[in-house]
Amino acid sequence: MKQNVLKGLCVKDAMRRQVLQLPESAPIEKNINLLIKYKVNALLLAAENNIPTGVVSKTDIMSAYYASLPIESPAKDIMSSPPLFCGEADSLESALDKMRAEGVHRLYACEGASQSVAGILAYPDIVGLLYLYCHKCEYSLLNRSGKKLENDEVSRFRVKDVMTPAVRSFHENDSLLTIMEGLSAYRFGAVLVTDENDRATGVVSKTDLILAYMHGVSPHVAARTVMTSPVLSCEETEFLEGAIRTMIFSEVHRLFVHRGDSPNMVGVFSLSDAARLRSGSCQACVSSRIKVDQHD
Amino acid sequence: MSTAKDLMTTKFHTLRPDMSIADAVKAFKEASANEERKVFGIMVIDRKSRLVGMLSMYDILLYLRPKHIHIWGMMDDIEAEGLMDQACERLKSIRVADIMTPDVITVTPDAHLMFILDLMIKKHIRRVPVVEGEKIRGIVYISSLFYHLLARVTS
Repeated sequence: MKQNVLKGLCVKDAMRRQVLQLPESAPIEKNINLLIKYKVNALLLAAENNIPTGVVSKTDIMSAYYASLPIESPAKDIMSSPPLFCGEADSLESALDKMRAEGVHRLYACEGASQSVAGILAYPDIVGLLYLYCHKCEYSLLNRSGKKLENDEVSRFRVKDVMTPAVRSFHENDSLLTIMEGLSAYRFGAVLVTDENDRATGVVSKTDLILAYMHGVSPHVAARTVMTSPVLSCEETEFLEGAIRTMIFSEVHRLFVHRGDSPNMVGVFSLSDAARLRSGSCQACVSSRIKVDQHD
Repeated sequence: MSTAKDLMTTKFHTLRPDMSIADAVKAFKEASANEERKVFGIMVIDRKSRLVGMLSMYDILLYLRPKHIHIWGMMDDIEAEGLMDQACERLKSIRVADIMTPDVITVTPDAHLMFILDLMIKKHIRRVPVVEGEKIRGIVYISSLFYHLLARVTS
């Protein structure tokens, strides 16, 4: 197995301990309220006996919006079941493998052999951990403060090495229903919105859509009425460290990528892309020159 | 003087669920000026004046808190000014209903003050609306309760 930053780390090191849970009978609007207030992407749902029975994510809520389900409907009607678990002592590697194999963005971590939920592991937390290691590392560009290292031959990842080299865009006059169909078909978290001249004018994310649902906005309105503008983007040759920093700083899950001065977007770089890379932002860790236990 | 109706404030302010947070913040300022006290939580009512939630200073601060502060907190190269601007910008698209606390603990006008005291401690709340049927009669603040009890202790 290749050496990488995550080797030797376990779920407990990266998980969040605040697990938000609601009764499965709670109305969808209450679920949206918690998702927005705590800035999370999913909630754990439990039966009356407090046993976790499912997960409701922004994707599930978007589907309810698409289907014009009354917002007072119980979350039980739209939840994904059962929730997927891992052990808090499991390796981060195996948890990431499970997330990829199951096609999910989060796992709930159980304490020991019990069914008691101790935390939640999601891609942004793993990227946060990677970023922290990179930031502390002597090879980091961010941590350098102008000083030059004797050996600066480290091969650094750039955004274009990791990004998804295709962008699915929609016209700003397309309805939210069309946008939701696109998000669902391509399993995206957000899509680019363009004007008549193919100029990127905004982004519609699942967060924008669940807020529209909460605010009683008709799903037939044009994308431009709910899109977030301007588009957050980076240049394709930017170092990964800088792009990850922008994403974490701006609280977004993805950056659209442009080439040179061209306004056309050539790719998307997401937090899950960064998490899947597993090796921080340069080759130093891959070649084992830096070991995790030296980062303290 | 031992029940909610004896101690509750009947001069209170309310918010609407579809108000912007910017307007809610203005309402907090106005309420503080009118009530001559720092108001940190305001009841949210629907069109029929029924209580549907409570928006507190904590709810707003929770939303303003950067999501990844546990990472930023360990770094010294972050522009805090930029973080604050971004947080305030994000708040513009949010309404009261999006971040209010919808499950509000209430008492009836006849609730005993010691019961309210116990409720405030157990549930970590600083204000309790007094409701009769679907009608809001007033609100009991923890400070009112404290100074009331203090007066009895020192009398």
